Amino acid sequence: MGTQRQEQKNQTKRHLINVSIRVLAKNGLLRTKTSDIAKEGGVSHGTVFAHFPTREILLAEVIEEVGSRIASRLHELAVNGGSVREVLAAHLEGLLEYEAFYTRLVVENNLLPGRSQHTLIMIQSAISIHLNQAVEREVNLGTFRSFPTHLLFNTWIGLLHYYLVNADLFSPNESVLQRHGQTLINHFLSMASP
Amino acid sequence: MKTCIACGMPMETAADYPQGNTEKDYCLYCAKLDGSMQSFEEKLEGLTNFIMKTQGLDQDAAWKTARKMMSTLPAWKGHF
Ligand SMILES: [Zn+2]
Repeated sequence: MGTQRQEQKNQTKRHLINVSIRVLAKNGLLRTKTSDIAKEGGVSHGTVFAHFPTREILLAEVIEEVGSRIASRLHELAVNGGSVREVLAAHLEGLLEYEAFYTRLVVENNLLPGRSQHTLIMIQSAISIHLNQAVEREVNLGTFRSFPTHLLFNTWIGLLHYYLVNADLFSPNESVLQRHGQTLINHFLSMASP
Repeated sequence: MKTCIACGMPMETAADYPQGNTEKDYCLYCAKLDGSMQSFEEKLEGLTNFIMKTQGLDQDAAWKTARKMMSTLPAWKGHF
């Protein structure tokens, strides 16, 4: 009985996280109220608070969940000897699934509560280190030039974020990652090739 | 699957554990050479350096982020 109730609780939490990703992507992270999430998820406001005591905790947990879904593909590739191209493609593929949410996150990040910002920083560090694992292998193979870890990552993420934040200019009618992602990967790789 | 109590990293395979010991609740990045868990100060310094190395953050900003991040993890509850 106890474990069954726990399982039900976990299921509700997963449901609320998935609903939150959708609602936050649509209305923005700053503007969305917990009552919007309750309504969209078909639960009472009290149920949302039972799982996430404050709005700040809800935001941070949703960001963490999306981040770990994106980073886990990269982790797998990075430890199993994936190439830089494969790691970058996996990054884009992960982001593609959460493109609207992630774009909101990048745009609104500086205005979010501290814990949300720290969560995003930890996610980006994980992605940076996975990218670096693949880069180090290719540097040793002579197929990639060597750069400081942070500059390499910031070059990639800066490029990506510029396109995401200005998606209305680069790709008004479809996913900007779908339309330009491959070009960005090719460009990044060509700049770093020896 | 367990997540590391000291840094939150998911531990998927034995290679993620200190000395491959899956009985542990912390990951290999949170262990000392002898396999025991790092102290609060060691982890805080390590995480701060990790953030600086991977993203180039200012030292103080990296330190604050590392502390905030550690405050949410079970291993460091007594330090906040
Ligand atoms: Zn750890």
